[in-house]
Amino acid sequence: MKTLILGCGNPDRADDSAGLLVVRKLRELGVDASKHSGDMLSLMDEWSGFDEVIIIDAMVSGAPSGAIAVFDARAAEVPRERFRCSSHEFGLAEVVELARSLARLPPKLTIYGIEAGNCDAGGTVSAEVVEAVERVAGEIWRNLPY
Amino acid sequence: MSDAGKHRTIKVPMLARVEGEGALFIKFKGDRVTDVKLNIFEPPRMFEAFLHGRHLTETPDIVARICGICPIAYQMSAVHALERALNIKIDPQVRMLRRLFYCGEWIESHALHVFMLHAPDFLGYPDAIQMARDHRAVVEQGLRLKKIGNRIVSLMGGREIHPVCAAVGGFYKVPSESELHTLTEDLKWALDASLATVKLVAGFEFPDFERDYEFVALSHPDEYPFNEGRIVSNKGLNIFVPEYEEHFVERHVKHSNALQSVLTGRGPYFVGPMARFNLNYPQLPEVARQAARDCGLKLPVLNPFRSIVIRAVELVFASWEALQIIGDYQMPEAPKVDFEIRAGMGCAATEAPRGLLYHRYKIDQQGLIQFAKIVPPTSQNQKQIEDDLWHFVPQVANLPAEEAKWKCEQAVRNYDPCISCATHALRVNIERS
Repeated sequence: MKTLILGCGNPDRADDSAGLLVVRKLRELGVDASKHSGDMLSLMDEWSGFDEVIIIDAMVSGAPSGAIAVFDARAAEVPRERFRCSSHEFGLAEVVELARSLARLPPKLTIYGIEAGNCDAGGTVSAEVVEAVERVAGEIWRNLPY
Repeated sequence: MSDAGKHRTIKVPMLARVEGEGALFIKFKGDRVTDVKLNIFEPPRMFEAFLHGRHLTETPDIVARICGICPIAYQMSAVHALERALNIKIDPQVRMLRRLFYCGEWIESHALHVFMLHAPDFLGYPDAIQMARDHRAVVEQGLRLKKIGNRIVSLMGGREIHPVCAAVGGFYKVPSESELHTLTEDLKWALDASLATVKLVAGFEFPDFERDYEFVALSHPDEYPFNEGRIVSNKGLNIFVPEYEEHFVERHVKHSNALQSVLTGRGPYFVGPMARFNLNYPQLPEVARQAARDCGLKLPVLNPFRSIVIRAVELVFASWEALQIIGDYQMPEAPKVDFEIRAGMGCAATEAPRGLLYHRYKIDQQGLIQFAKIVPPTSQNQKQIEDDLWHFVPQVANLPAEEAKWKCEQAVRNYDPCISCATHALRVNIERS
């Protein structure tokens, strides 16, 4: 089974970098994981051909910093308002829903959202998000089929 | 909308399908508009201040960060302004590569706006996601076009968003002939797809709305404008770029964090694809002119809702132009020319997907930026958007609230505003009294 693991975020915006930090942790654990950069719409091309896709991104839902939410994107709509971290039109949730409309979702798509409390430019990642990064990376690592 | 006796208010919390965040407030009594405010509340981003004290060679990379959709426009206006300050003459092949770079940005930006942001208005969907369920082939076509624009930008700029290869004097790296030729088949498809797009969008239904605009764009005698030309209008303006600030003034209005630009003594003006098309039609290649004629576009086009058709015509142009440039390309001996740093001042205007983008820089003897001025297209269109709504709202005043709101949002989207750029964003509030 081909699995793609992608982390999204902005490394210069404190807690918004949560997805990228999970990628870094997974790489330390010897897991093949990539940082997604560039046009979110290109995600549909990026995951084409993979059986399972895992995406980690920061979210803003009003929950406490570092709260973790897991979405089975094949089973239900991903709440758009939680992933509106993009200053441009197509954020992660919009691309997932567009892919659903176009029948271009991968067979299995799991999205990990880590609640961001502070996304200030140049800010420091909060201790709560650092802890959440460890937990998410650990969970992904434990669930991998190899 | 809420009814309170004779007073009616329409409030829309957030305008969708624009780049960035802002709000629109409209107040009217019966069908008479009493106030329109394009409220840009996205905080000012202070890019001109960031540039102060930075070395001129850092400028293209800093200004690229102003926008994720049109970074190349910022890079091009910056490098040309700085090259004028230093009297740098670039290699003719580099000049053509910069036009190709711009073709990539126009294709990706126009494809995004035509298919994903504006078409849902005309086809009656709240967004592209829902439109895609019924019009899958249309959306796939838009996505493929956008991807081709992204490919050009990646190849020329090192990456598809916030590219890093543009440099004062040229590029840090230029592609080989064979690298450029890898784009050819995609661009042939893009040209055919763009022609089909013109037919598709020309078949949409357009509100009956025309105004006597002053269109402003660059104009070049031999080519459809990207990087070079005089600044002209349909009402007699014809100036060199260095005269820009004698004719255009930016002003602060309370309700907007973006400065509004007006023509001195004349008021609002219109930049972007409609202005370019109306002022530069003869310079379009025959394939684009034919597409425009076939779909019934008659000069001057004065209905801003038809801007979607003109963006599609510009997709034809950009695909065709990119193919010509690639066909004629010979790799220059050096990607950029060497230059000596000295104190100076230079300005430039180029044509971003959304319209004229003016930059001016003053540098000292060490090459440090002492002053920077950046006037993005959305700042220039901001007052014109408000003016359109003053005139358009009476047409929709008697429609059901949701429909009126939708039409007003659509009128704003005619301009493909990039609010992130303008603050260097939209929520709609309509109040009826």
